[in-house]
Amino acid sequence: MCADLERIPRTLLVSERSSFQNQKNQLSAHVGQHHFNYKVSVLLPECGSAPPLLDAALNGFSSFYLIRNLPVYMLLDQDFLQTAVHQGSVYGLSFGCRVDEDPCVALMPNGRLVLSLDKDSFELLGFERKKYRFTKRATSRYVVSVNFSDSSMTPGGRGYQRLLTGLKTHLPLVVDFLVSHHPGGTTALQPLLSRYDWSEHRPSVSTRCLANLPCPLLTSDLQSCDPHSVLDWLGAVDADVSCENSSSSFLSTMVCPEPKTTASSALNVSVSGFLNPHEIHHLIQELRSYLDQSQLASWVALTVHGFTDSPVSWAGDERSVLWSGNTFYSLLLFKDDTYQLHLATGAHHTCPP
Amino acid sequence: MLMFTFVTKNSSSRHASRLLTCGGPCTVSIMSVFMDLNLIQNQTEDRSGLKSLIETAAHLGFSTVAVNYVFEPTTKKKQNIPSPTPINELIDQLPIVQGRSRPIRVLNRLTIVMSDSSHYRPTAAEYRRFDLLAVYPTTEKLFHAACMTYDVDIICISVTEKLPFFFKRAPVNGAIERGVAFEVSYSAAIRDATMRRYTIANAIALVDTCKGKNVIVSSAAEKRLELRGPHDAANLSLLFGLSDADAKEAVSSTCRSVVLHAERRKSAGGIIHTTKTSPEETPPTPDDRDAPAAKRAKPLETE
Repeated sequence: MCADLERIPRTLLVSERSSFQNQKNQLSAHVGQHHFNYKVSVLLPECGSAPPLLDAALNGFSSFYLIRNLPVYMLLDQDFLQTAVHQGSVYGLSFGCRVDEDPCVALMPNGRLVLSLDKDSFELLGFERKKYRFTKRATSRYVVSVNFSDSSMTPGGRGYQRLLTGLKTHLPLVVDFLVSHHPGGTTALQPLLSRYDWSEHRPSVSTRCLANLPCPLLTSDLQSCDPHSVLDWLGAVDADVSCENSSSSFLSTMVCPEPKTTASSALNVSVSGFLNPHEIHHLIQELRSYLDQSQLASWVALTVHGFTDSPVSWAGDERSVLWSGNTFYSLLLFKDDTYQLHLATGAHHTCPP
Repeated sequence: MLMFTFVTKNSSSRHASRLLTCGGPCTVSIMSVFMDLNLIQNQTEDRSGLKSLIETAAHLGFSTVAVNYVFEPTTKKKQNIPSPTPINELIDQLPIVQGRSRPIRVLNRLTIVMSDSSHYRPTAAEYRRFDLLAVYPTTEKLFHAACMTYDVDIICISVTEKLPFFFKRAPVNGAIERGVAFEVSYSAAIRDATMRRYTIANAIALVDTCKGKNVIVSSAAEKRLELRGPHDAANLSLLFGLSDADAKEAVSSTCRSVVLHAERRKSAGGIIHTTKTSPEETPPTPDDRDAPAAKRAKPLETE
């Protein structure tokens, strides 16, 4: 018997094509369900500099906060639950914790708290876990998921008390925590910020102007260009990898997919930090209006990357810790108000919706 | 307050320990970490080679390594089992593991290359100086004996030559029941193409028989260039026929089981060892219910 490596799945890609005119399009649902966004990259072909409104949208992502050494039981604090979790949308993720080595914590806007723990930590905590789907012998990772809108998880409820005791006395987890709130900001997060050491960060924006960029001829039809090669090419442009495949270069054999054309100039903008899905949605609307007004460009590409060490995958579903595979999605917008959406994740993660 | 570590000699459980706490804040040891349990100590070389090995291992992300002293007894002359050098003589300050704030943990391991059954002496006092004990059987009879009876932690699989015997299910399952792990080393595969074939072929034969349980993957590195990171080692073990989960476990949780098995072996049979941390105000009563009945304070009898 020899190991059949081709059988091992590595990535999952779901492609969807629809139009903004279609009432039932699910773009906003997809954007909203991808809670933890690390980086947004935009590629604008035939564009030298971004128009003011688009520029404002790219630079207008709100700040996020890094709280150092936050004891996790504080996320169950009643004031915090009232001001942040039950009002508006709070996004929280543990920082600097590797999902296959350390305990990781995620707080989602629908009021769900997810703890991804190893065997010893889980046994110390003493709370029930969700059934793990991806291995038959689930000895590697234990996921504890609670929903604060459940009746047992209201302050004073049985489940709430048990989890609080567990996190306070049995397993006093302390993590660095990235947190942001929409629309409240610092006022909503005051119960946490007032007690612990925190720092405010703005997402960093970097802009690159590219000249004579070979671009594939993209149309809104999904069959025109293979999604894998288009995504490869988009990634190569974003990572500044040469697509010329010249015989003298051994570093890259990537090529621009055929049929292709050359754009005299292109703008590549990246925003990275702890980004809010609401603002990504606003950016998509701005990109749509830019595309409507632009005469030269026929398409615009937006890619959103998730966090590698997030304990959850799409829509807060579980992910496998065996291999890496941060989730990301790529949106290609076309002039006729149609779009192509490619949702990707690693193997053994929950399939994107 | 006290923290208990209760290590049992429960032969049917694969994981040889459970943690019980008795109230109050406790220190949490994060145990799903990466380990490399085979760094060869070349006794003829000076110590700087081993120091650079340990530093490279810390840089790659291994939280625990074991320095391996290989002992090959011959019948011609009497040889003494080497005694391990204390770690503080080897390195002044242990390097911090990359991405964490703790220094790397270094254990001592003895590997006995056995070509005769007299080479392993169960009652030898020298074995107690080492944290881990491994054997490398070269015949089928010795392999069977090592799996079923010898009180060791690791059984090494030959990777540099064609397997001298076939693995049978019975001794392999017996070893798995007892908590003994099988080790596959990959540095020979890095050094030479012929060794690569032997490593892969022998490892596939092992994984076929043991179904991927109780397998650890380690480097057997003598130089720092032969060390690979934990994820790379896990990827490599996919070639040996291990599944995704088994491959990840082979560098993390199975190694942890082996280290705990070794701790159990060094102690009498089952023991509670307690560490006293600084006394703090402990919360009242709820934890008293967890203590066994005999330990509850008896009320004072008054006349």
